[in-house]
Amino acid sequence: MTAFSRRTRRRALTTTGLVALAIALPKPVAQGARNGAIAGRVELRRVASPVERRPTVADLGTPAAALDISDRLKSVVYLDSAPRGAFEQVETPRAVMDQHGERFVPHVLAITTGTIVDFPNSDHIYHNVFSLSKTRQFDLGRYASGHSKPVRFDRAGVVRVFCEIHSHMNAFILVFSHPFYSLTDNDGRYRIDNVPPGSYNVIAWNEGVSSEARPVIVPDGGVGELDFTLR
Amino acid sequence: MKLVRRAALFAVLALGHGLPARAQALPSEPLSFGDGRVTIGGDVSVSVAPEDTGFFNYTDYEHSALRLFRVGVTTSIGMGGHFTVLGELRSENGDRVHAYALYLRIRPWIDRPFDIQAGRVPPTFGAFARRAYATDNPLIAYPLAYQYLTSLRADALPVNADELLSMRGRGWLSSFSLGNRDPAAGLPLASAFRWDTGVQLHAASGMMDVTGAVTTGTLSNPLFADDNSGRQVAGRLSVHPITGLLLGASAARGPFVSTTAARGAVGDGRDGEFTQTALGGDIEYSHAYYLVRAETVLSEWKVPSVGWPAIDAPLRALATYVEGRYKVMPGVYVAGRIDHLGFSSVTGSRGPQTWEAPVTRVEVGGGYSIQRNLLLKVSWQYNTRDGGRVTRETLAAAQLVFWF
Repeated sequence: MTAFSRRTRRRALTTTGLVALAIALPKPVAQGARNGAIAGRVELRRVASPVERRPTVADLGTPAAALDISDRLKSVVYLDSAPRGAFEQVETPRAVMDQHGERFVPHVLAITTGTIVDFPNSDHIYHNVFSLSKTRQFDLGRYASGHSKPVRFDRAGVVRVFCEIHSHMNAFILVFSHPFYSLTDNDGRYRIDNVPPGSYNVIAWNEGVSSEARPVIVPDGGVGELDFTLR
Repeated sequence: MKLVRRAALFAVLALGHGLPARAQALPSEPLSFGDGRVTIGGDVSVSVAPEDTGFFNYTDYEHSALRLFRVGVTTSIGMGGHFTVLGELRSENGDRVHAYALYLRIRPWIDRPFDIQAGRVPPTFGAFARRAYATDNPLIAYPLAYQYLTSLRADALPVNADELLSMRGRGWLSSFSLGNRDPAAGLPLASAFRWDTGVQLHAASGMMDVTGAVTTGTLSNPLFADDNSGRQVAGRLSVHPITGLLLGASAARGPFVSTTAARGAVGDGRDGEFTQTALGGDIEYSHAYYLVRAETVLSEWKVPSVGWPAIDAPLRALATYVEGRYKVMPGVYVAGRIDHLGFSSVTGSRGPQTWEAPVTRVEVGGGYSIQRNLLLKVSWQYNTRDGGRVTRETLAAAQLVFWF
């Protein structure tokens, strides 16, 4: 199996896993048990590189400065299957993905289904946010600085977000059917809180590449430790 | 048939991008090496259409913009912030690979938006020539100003007005008795298919961009090596007073007749007199789901007056197009362009007549993004021409574009 096809399979697993959340139920949880957490670290052994601008020879001058890669090091860790009662959500959550310095900020956004994401434009130029992902297709058209447009995400899955005008601008939105996920910090550390005690399968994701699902046990009121390495 | 086979191969490769086994076989982002110092991008397009018997879309005697398989690879090599080498290698219909662009960009002060570009540089004049890529063109055909071949040539000259008028509507293969007597394709107002060679300066400040260039060829006949004693000077000023609005004005002037042709007509030392002068204006406005562009190019060629009836005034052409695009849903758009190319009159033995046959084109079409970097376009165009063997022609075309 080539590296490319392996990566493809991993992407497929990611999407399947996310969608499967809504139907897969884990072992029952004892009544009166205290919730715990899953924590650990995701080590990236992959070389993170920014999406460079296309070398458009037709430019009359130098385009804007090079891009920052730091937010491409952020990973998402999530439960492959969610506990019972995980799908109860009262309010419609909102999140923001800004367009600033010809980048989407944040580059990776993890949300639950039903979330409305606002896409403000903080640059002094037009942007045109769109996605052709099967999970959620949308095109917000061109709008200027100071304006924002919302998109509601009702299906679980991975949504790739682009700007039609600036091909180097891209982002990921991971839509979950449950709240048991966490973004890593700058050191790769994560913590998924408020997890009912039980045994779970956990997946780590970075830039479209997912780990295999790995088991972890969350003790009553304790923390299940689990580290990942993504190559 | 060869083109169809190539198109089919490309379609299989490109569509395979969406299949699991092939999904990552083709890149979706530019390739980058050496900490981003070397970046390689590319675009492949294949356009198919029925035979264009009126030669309305030909870019020379052999190539039609509607029946084209083009592969382009662009590279940027950065050297310490001040210097960047940019180039594009291109092959059309499997012909030899040539350097469509190859130049050195120098930024003397890193944090000041001032650049010097030297080599085979992007066109200074106008708007369309720098976005002639299939990804930037909402339709398949090119605007008449940048593609339609007039009968005028740089290496051959008409001896009188009658000879010029006899070539009306035959720009894809014209011939004159002074200079090179072999039949060959004529000149467009401005070529979008070759870039000129020279030095270009560009500065930006707030809402304004200014560009100036000195090059070997002219708008209608860009060259790698000069064929006469003069240089072209071109300039462009563009302003964007509000987000989404761009206004541009351009001018260019340079000798276009080759030394050999000028010598054949009027003797040595006068090739610098026969100039192409062009003025252009362009506007682009976009908002939400629509984009509107308009551009006009006025070109004037001075040609020698040799025999009777004389060509006693510069030959003028005025081309104007308006195009628009509207996105109807994610990944789907519709587009249209109306385009007219008119000419001044000369007086031949049978009285005054436009020196070339005026052309009008209406093109409508649309695009569907199979995936982000794989676009399928279709278009339908109607051409009318006041002269030539074929005066009306309707053509349908399809184009598949892949880029990374």
